[in-house]
Amino acid sequence: MAGYLIRRLTTAILVVFGIILVTFLMLHIIAPSPAITVLGPKAQPAAIKAWNHANGFDKPWWDQFATYLGHLFQGNLGYSYHLNQSVSALLTEKAPLSGLLTIASLVLSILVALPLGIYQGVKRNSFGDITATSLAMIFYSMPTFLVALVLVQVFALSLKWVNPNVPQDQTLSGALAGWPDLIMPIVALTLTAVASYSRYQRSAALDVLAQDYIKVARAKGLSERLVYSRHLVRNASLPMITLIGLSLPLLIAGNLLVEYTFNINGLGLLFVNSLQGYDYNVLMAYTLITAVLTVVGNLIADICLTLSDPRIKLV
Amino acid sequence: MSETNTPAVSTETETETARGVEDVSVTIESPAGPEPAVPAVSDAGELQSTTSAWKLTLREFLKNKMAVAGVAILVFFVLFCWLGPVFYHSNQNTTDLLNTDGAPGAGHPLGTDSNGFDIIGRIMIGGQTSLWIGFAAAVIATVIGTLWGAVAGLLGGLIDATLMRIVDILLSLPFLLVVLIISQRYGANTWGLIIILGVFSWLVPARLIRGEVLSLKVRDFVSAARVMGGTNTRLIFRHLIPNAMGTVIVNITFQIADAILALAALGYLNFGVRYPNTDWGSQLGDAQSNLSNGYWWEVFPVGVSLVLVVMAFNFIGDGLRDAVDVRLRKR
Amino acid sequence: MALLEVNNLSTHIAISSGSVQAVDGVSFHLEAGETLGLVGESGCGKSMTGLSLMRLLPPGGQLVGGSSVKLSGRELVDLPESEMRKIRGNEIAMVFQDPMSSLDPTKTIGYQVSEPVMLHRGASKAEALDRAAEVLGLVGLPKPKERLGDYPHQLSGGLRQRVMIAMALACEPKVLIADEPTTALDVTIQAQILTLLNDLKDRLGMAMILVTHDMGVVAGHADRINVMYAGRIVESTKTDELFSDMRHPYTQGLLASIPRLAQDNTQKLFTVPGLPPDLSNPPTGCRFAARCSYAQDDCRTEDPGLKGPKEHTFACFHPVDGPLDLTSSTTVADRSAPAAKEKRPLLEVTDLVKEFPVGGNLFGRNKAVVHAVSGVSLSLGYGETFGLVGESGCGKTTLGRMIVGLEKPNAGQVTLDGAQVGSLRGKALRRHRRDLQMMFQDPHASLDPRMRVGSILREPLQIQGIGTAQEQLSLVTDLLGEVGLPKSALERFPHEFSGGQRQRIGLARALTLHPKVIVADEPVSALDVSIRAQVLNLMKRLQASHDLSYVVISHDLAVVKYLADRIGVMYLGKMVEVGSGEDIYQRAAHPYTAGLLEAIPVPEPELEREKRGGGIKGELPSPVAPPSGCRFRTRCPLAQERCAEEEPAMRLFGDGHVAACHFPLQTPVSDTPVTVATPAGEAV
Repeated sequence: MAGYLIRRLTTAILVVFGIILVTFLMLHIIAPSPAITVLGPKAQPAAIKAWNHANGFDKPWWDQFATYLGHLFQGNLGYSYHLNQSVSALLTEKAPLSGLLTIASLVLSILVALPLGIYQGVKRNSFGDITATSLAMIFYSMPTFLVALVLVQVFALSLKWVNPNVPQDQTLSGALAGWPDLIMPIVALTLTAVASYSRYQRSAALDVLAQDYIKVARAKGLSERLVYSRHLVRNASLPMITLIGLSLPLLIAGNLLVEYTFNINGLGLLFVNSLQGYDYNVLMAYTLITAVLTVVGNLIADICLTLSDPRIKLV
Repeated sequence: MSETNTPAVSTETETETARGVEDVSVTIESPAGPEPAVPAVSDAGELQSTTSAWKLTLREFLKNKMAVAGVAILVFFVLFCWLGPVFYHSNQNTTDLLNTDGAPGAGHPLGTDSNGFDIIGRIMIGGQTSLWIGFAAAVIATVIGTLWGAVAGLLGGLIDATLMRIVDILLSLPFLLVVLIISQRYGANTWGLIIILGVFSWLVPARLIRGEVLSLKVRDFVSAARVMGGTNTRLIFRHLIPNAMGTVIVNITFQIADAILALAALGYLNFGVRYPNTDWGSQLGDAQSNLSNGYWWEVFPVGVSLVLVVMAFNFIGDGLRDAVDVRLRKR
Repeated sequence: MALLEVNNLSTHIAISSGSVQAVDGVSFHLEAGETLGLVGESGCGKSMTGLSLMRLLPPGGQLVGGSSVKLSGRELVDLPESEMRKIRGNEIAMVFQDPMSSLDPTKTIGYQVSEPVMLHRGASKAEALDRAAEVLGLVGLPKPKERLGDYPHQLSGGLRQRVMIAMALACEPKVLIADEPTTALDVTIQAQILTLLNDLKDRLGMAMILVTHDMGVVAGHADRINVMYAGRIVESTKTDELFSDMRHPYTQGLLASIPRLAQDNTQKLFTVPGLPPDLSNPPTGCRFAARCSYAQDDCRTEDPGLKGPKEHTFACFHPVDGPLDLTSSTTVADRSAPAAKEKRPLLEVTDLVKEFPVGGNLFGRNKAVVHAVSGVSLSLGYGETFGLVGESGCGKTTLGRMIVGLEKPNAGQVTLDGAQVGSLRGKALRRHRRDLQMMFQDPHASLDPRMRVGSILREPLQIQGIGTAQEQLSLVTDLLGEVGLPKSALERFPHEFSGGQRQRIGLARALTLHPKVIVADEPVSALDVSIRAQVLNLMKRLQASHDLSYVVISHDLAVVKYLADRIGVMYLGKMVEVGSGEDIYQRAAHPYTAGLLEAIPVPEPELEREKRGGGIKGELPSPVAPPSGCRFRTRCPLAQERCAEEEPAMRLFGDGHVAACHFPLQTPVSDTPVTVATPAGEAV
């Protein structure tokens, strides 16, 4: 197990390094210097040159990359010239709310989608399956923000059960105090995720149901219920572990769209706002964090799969 | 009971060789000529009816009602977006500030938007952009992905490992964020968006095609071509690509759906094509703040169009995949 | 009263284009302690009959009204599902074909075997596990108590099938249905499992239904046999009577078309022409009529139905009387002296070695090596056929692929007509490939599904740049005729052909380049018996007319013996014995060869019954770490210390007969080691 973990971690670290490099290069090519942001659009070329020199933006890219890496190791994510704040402080401030949204919707969607997909596989082509499949297809084909807009129209504007916007309180406790306002964003995220997870879970269940060992279980005299609970659920859920690990970037993208729609003061909204002024360090930091979360998510998924699938050897 | 037959040893018909020789003297028939309806009987048994693999796929596809519905929806929207403006004239060039945010009614069956453009006409224009960008980006992504995956799968070894590690790293990058960052700078026009979306979504097809090539290259018919002295180029173009085509086409379909969705997200966040051009996402982005003013017609008609088109592609993709699977099972 | 009485059992399966009458009016009975064989070719409904008894039908499957299955007088067909569940796994249990996919990969074998005990006997978990250990011991799993916590993937195929059997026997059922229980296993393991099933049946006093396509398997292990064809039973009688005095022409033809070990291989095999009917639209009357040489008008209009005395029933208006007299059969072209034309060998393989790396990662750590072929030599004369036999994992397929250049050997040489194949590059290599062609095992995978047969057959000519389009077409049409397919086949796609037809196309393709040698890898093992004989005859005929030499690779010694002049027996990457068919069959020198012969089921009841309990013990060792010295020593009854220390050299046992064994079953002619496998007639 230890050997496996070490090897898996080494790969993960290499991937993270690759991600930092690629992201850095991408941003470097697109926007070699934040000078204009800092000095304003009317700055003279000479002033820009001087600022670039003073802040090291005239050095070759590998030099700048080395500096960036060095800072990164010290936990220094740079400075937002736009918001005049350190990026770490900004992230710490806004992360809890985004985290709450993402984790709540992830947990909810797993709790709904896995049983739903198994049910659909077992009751293939029944009324329930067809209804669920059709609904899933609609939500699967709908961008998250459109789901959000439909929810706003129905529950906030027509039925007036909730507020259309989430109050501008970015602290976790503040948001929790106004928790009913968080229902719609979380539901919007959950519906999208359930649509895609249940589709996969259904087909995974169908795959398992076609296996010989299900026939064998029936030949033992097990009731359908026992066949499913003992031999179907676990085998059909195993492929979902990897899938959920891989779907993290999508969840985060959905989170961004939902924060934008409901005006939730989280990381996603920060990112969208930073795009306008090309707030280099914020963009870089958020992209990196998302990528690292994805790598970590895949790592966790791999470990979970290793623990729950006896076929995978821990050598 | 007492009746028995003298066992007559049945051996292969000796005439078959002669028949083969006879046929040689006949010169080449036109290949398009109809097959003789006479069942071809020989000691090898009868031949079944003749259908090509593609026809079989098509037949299976047409059995799938959802997939056929998907085709119908798609055809409708293509005609609506490109032929619609010919029949349904609306001013889409100059803003009409006297008629902004107009409710559905005479002259504007679905109302007007915040610039006073007719919504129906706007959906047609936006649809052209969304469908075209989605299609083109998906083709680019699939072409890159297919080549990448095929090379990795076919060559194997260190090349495969390197190519697939690159895919792993890029897959960990958050697609939407990267595309947003780049389109902030280079987007805003149709080709910019096509290239950005295409260049960043080839990873999944690359994995898919690699898997397909890995399973194809160990098949006996590929070995057979090798034994005949077939070169790698021949293997790729005569055997691997034609056989992976089904997977590639299914992938393009899903890829279009995904690209349209991604473009919608970009447009929604204001990074789609720039005014006066528009796409469905941009329309939704412009209109979302007006939803609370009660201008539902600015959001939902275009929203429904978007969902229907994406759903159509997903239905077609599902139908094609199942049809290809059935054919695989039959062979 | 019989233990199990089946009357008029009919199962229909709904498909999109109608319904398949998979089982049609099947009636039989089974007495306690009896083994009933249910034999027939693929698609004849034998497996579906087994599943119907358990009422475990696939989606769309349905028992047709009037069907009756009585277990000890109790009707099962209309039992409520909850009652039926108490029968399954308890009174009637089933063993399935593929042990690899029949066990839940995420549950321990202890759990899986104890599951029916908890279910049907209300045992506690601990009691059930005790019982599981007991049954696992009964089926011969070594140290069963310690292995309860093992997962299926940790066991070999043979052991998994033992676990499957334990699972079925855990509740001591009255009836065991074994559905092709050994088809997925190697022949030595097959013999072990069949013996085990037989022992257990006797010890536990069960009745058994043995469903199989293999007449050899039922010959030795069934008391009575039902022969099925196209969803119906066509003949039913005691085993000996079926083999010696069959009445149905199908039974007669089926038995006549099986190549025998004792067969004169200059004779043509009997064949049943054509293919079985499509069961979604079966013909009226006798379903075999279209392929039957005795059929008359009444056969095509009226269903004969099972008739005759109770102990021997058959469904035929014009029954036959016993086996076919095969002495009158045509002989194939005389090839008694294949080596006469040329003295020097056509193909020589010297000390070929192939190792495949397994496991390991990007950095090349943890690398293990599968020793697939470890120094094998052979030679092939002009017009000769060399047969390679051995069980899966013995390296025979890898050896064949190295001969045609599909795999690069790690060491050793292949020489064809004096030219070293390994040293050729580019154009010379491509030119050379014409002489070495291959015929593949799986008729579904060997033809490109996207190409028409015409293009498939012309491809070799195009690659080699031979002839104009016109000439190619005429050559291809000729060949198609030679393999017995009509010209219209040119425009068709592979999926439109049956397995046998596809193998013919594969053979035609191999012939287009006028090769000197064709390597045929399991050319008939995917085919049904009656189709198999057609393809074997064809291969023989074409060999004579095209001056071919074959290397035939097969796990089936009877097939190899029918085709080959000389046979090489391989075990775990090594050639252990080479000799003529008669040397191998009559005078085997290596204990492995003898054990293999013992294990192969032959369609002769008396021989088979004598053999029960014989054969090779144990499992194949891992090719990653093959045993030292003689690789067979771990399973050899004659092994001594010397076998572990010293690898035996090939010694001569007669003209062209060599074997590598320290303690051979025959006395060697000389004790000096010889180079391997010289063609017959050329003593060293």
